[in-house]
Amino acid sequence: MRLLLAVLALLFAAPAFAAEVDTGHLKIELVAQDASVAPGTTAYVALRQDIDAGWHTYWRNPGDSGEPPKLTWTLPAGWTAGEFVWATPKTLPFGPLTNYGYSGEVILPVPIAVPANARPGPVTLEAVVDVLVCEKICIPETGKVSVTLTVADGAPKPDARWGASVAAALAAAPKPAGLTATFENGKTLTLAVAGAPLKGADMSGAWFFPFQGVWIDHAKAQTAERGSDGLTLTLTPGYAFESGKPPAVMDGVLVVGDKAYEISATPGPAPAGVSGLGPPPGAKGEGTGAAPKTGLLIAALTAFLGGLILNLMPCVFPVLSMKAASLARHAHETRAARRQGLAYGAGVVATFLILAGVLIGLQLAGQQVGWGFQLQSPPVVGVLGLLMLAVALNMSGVFEIGTSVQGVGSGLAAKGGLSGAFFTGVLAVVVASPCTAPFMAGALGFTIGQPPIVVLAVFLALSLGFAAPFVALAFAPGLLRRLPKPGAWMDTLRKVLAFPMYGAAAWLLWVLSQQTDAAGLAVALMGLLTGAFALWLWGLGPKAWRQGLALLLLAGAVALVLQPDSAAPRTGESAASAVLPSEAWSEERVAALRAEGKVVFVNFTAAWCVSCQVNDKVALSTDEVAKALTAANGVYLKADWTNRNPEIAAALAEHGRAGVPLYLVYGPASETPQVLPQLLTPGMVAGALKKAAGT
Amino acid sequence: MTLTRRSALTAALALPVLGLPGLALAKTAPDFAVKDADGKVRTLSEFKGRIVVLEWLNRACPYTQKHYHGNMQGLQVSATRDGAVWLSVCSSGSWQPGHWSSGAGAKGWMKKYGSAATAMLLDEDGVMGRAYGARTTPHMFVIDPAGQLAYQGAIDDVPTSKVEDIGRAKNLVAAALADLHAGRPVRTPYSQAYGCAVKYG
Repeated sequence: MRLLLAVLALLFAAPAFAAEVDTGHLKIELVAQDASVAPGTTAYVALRQDIDAGWHTYWRNPGDSGEPPKLTWTLPAGWTAGEFVWATPKTLPFGPLTNYGYSGEVILPVPIAVPANARPGPVTLEAVVDVLVCEKICIPETGKVSVTLTVADGAPKPDARWGASVAAALAAAPKPAGLTATFENGKTLTLAVAGAPLKGADMSGAWFFPFQGVWIDHAKAQTAERGSDGLTLTLTPGYAFESGKPPAVMDGVLVVGDKAYEISATPGPAPAGVSGLGPPPGAKGEGTGAAPKTGLLIAALTAFLGGLILNLMPCVFPVLSMKAASLARHAHETRAARRQGLAYGAGVVATFLILAGVLIGLQLAGQQVGWGFQLQSPPVVGVLGLLMLAVALNMSGVFEIGTSVQGVGSGLAAKGGLSGAFFTGVLAVVVASPCTAPFMAGALGFTIGQPPIVVLAVFLALSLGFAAPFVALAFAPGLLRRLPKPGAWMDTLRKVLAFPMYGAAAWLLWVLSQQTDAAGLAVALMGLLTGAFALWLWGLGPKAWRQGLALLLLAGAVALVLQPDSAAPRTGESAASAVLPSEAWSEERVAALRAEGKVVFVNFTAAWCVSCQVNDKVALSTDEVAKALTAANGVYLKADWTNRNPEIAAALAEHGRAGVPLYLVYGPASETPQVLPQLLTPGMVAGALKKAAGT
Repeated sequence: MTLTRRSALTAALALPVLGLPGLALAKTAPDFAVKDADGKVRTLSEFKGRIVVLEWLNRACPYTQKHYHGNMQGLQVSATRDGAVWLSVCSSGSWQPGHWSSGAGAKGWMKKYGSAATAMLLDEDGVMGRAYGARTTPHMFVIDPAGQLAYQGAIDDVPTSKVEDIGRAKNLVAAALADLHAGRPVRTPYSQAYGCAVKYG
């Protein structure tokens, strides 16, 4: 922060223009209504805030928490600045609390008294601005802002860029409008307001924003009752009333429809015509239900997109090969292909919903879990490895399940094929979980801390997106007909496609080796070997003793792959890339390094996260990144989530994520990190490091 | 669930009567039973006869950080030296900023910052926070030896996040404690708390 100020001081040493300060979550600048101002008049300059989406700053009464922005002026002799002309705030509900503030762009004009003896020529007005900007977390930002005006006799000349905006802000700011306002605290606290502007006015969304925080309970509903000349609001009294010292005046802003007025209420009975006409039509507090719904809609849409893209992620390839093999078989029977597609879709949706259910259950039980959580358990990885091997052996023709695969068209085989397609869907989801796709992370992050129904909705959207391409393909006979007619090639294809499945099994064993130790891996390998033998035995043909023995061996194999859990889980460093030396992540380490003025690059990763591994190889292990890190005087920290780690889960959640990967670049000069995309290129990382270092 | 059924019931019964900001009128501080960083359940009744200071905290909040440059620790040392019990309370829900998923994490933080609090309560489900109407971090409550709420509100009267403002601020908690020790009514029993919103889950 000190460095930032030093840089800013340098930047603004030459007073020539108004420039904006980008503090990371909002841009702030001083802008002028008039470029040229006359001595002895009042000019308006304004603090303009351009707030990042999702973040907010505060009104003069911030509500239950927060802090209003502040300007500390450095003005030429004789010049004085007044208080902010506050724009109409919005309610910002957060759990059981409610704040008052702004999002998006907000312009807060300040009256400046130009002294009568001001000399003609340019004049620079400087101020240090302190503004608290919050999302889930709050960040106090400080910056030096300035604006240069010209003092000249005659009529003021509006500023070409901002004149109209400042004038509009001044016009829109709530002002007294001759309204009569009274309040009474009997059984409830009522605020009655009457006056010409309220006659027949649109009173939907009526809300009273008090100037002081102690008068009302900000988080409670305000119910409105209309009258012919005004309205009555029922409020929940705040501390001032309960302490026995009610205010003599309760002033604030009354919002009705799209209008806002400053009112000053005194104790006393309500004026006439403020009730009797019932609540305003369609009365609904702003942001009381609409905002979460839009949030959910957007989350569901992005989840759908994320699901679509998930099909392109590396984890899903092996299963897609299974799907391709089965599609090839059914391509020339429209009905069978459709049924297959739907069964696959059903498998996908069911599995996603089960995953969501487990996730909800675990989170309700207070566990820190996220996307891909099941792969943090070595037994699950072991069983999955065995399953992949079994599928691969099946595709290699070592054994067959059910009736002859060649008997396509017969009802029985079609039925068998359906459960197969369903199972493919299940498997696709389970192996897809180590990948997060672009868009998906945001949608899953949205579900954090949301009620179960929202989590289910987002997962449903995700599953529909994931299933969509194959289901759509199954319904596109034109495309399917282009495939060659069934024949011997299908068997060859199937055998070729077995190898990605062997690869998937090998990969899972590698993950397991990261989670346990060599002994754990050896046990798992024994399990796989036993499983393979059992399946071969089964494939020899239907003889009771052979099949019995095969099942027994298979059970033994499962028992073996469940074992590695007992092996001591490895912690800390794993899957280290050769080129980039890294340290283990901790919140404290990040803070310490930043205090030393270092650039910090944090990689939230896991051995089972395929996107992470791809990024590691494609981007992070390149010379370009290594050089950029050295040039930026940076330190590379790895947060390894291969095994469960609540601190990492909490850190991910702080950034709105439910899973890995997450890449953060902290610069010494900015309070919050840059968040890199989920698919990296070396240039992207190098660029972010450069930016963080301020070079 | 960190509250016992009895105290959860007490809190549930107390809430509608008291309303959130109305605690000062009702006077009696709600009892609670919340696990501390050692996993031990702490209640208000176990400290009967002693002054209890409650401090809502969130390590990720700049306003909490402002006071942990020595101000809060100093206050903790002097308050506990004078016989008071100091309970820091973290009401961040899981997945919310500042949440500790384990007592070890909280203890590590306390050690690192030299916290002299008697205990750190992990009010993950926010039941205690809601019963007290804790809105911000920091939000301070002082309970007298009779179990009555003597002070609630901000730690001091300069509501900013800047460390350098502490010097010119009047510490309202210290003032309340001094009033209690001197046997006089607390002159400022309420102030508007400032800081980050408590991150209820």
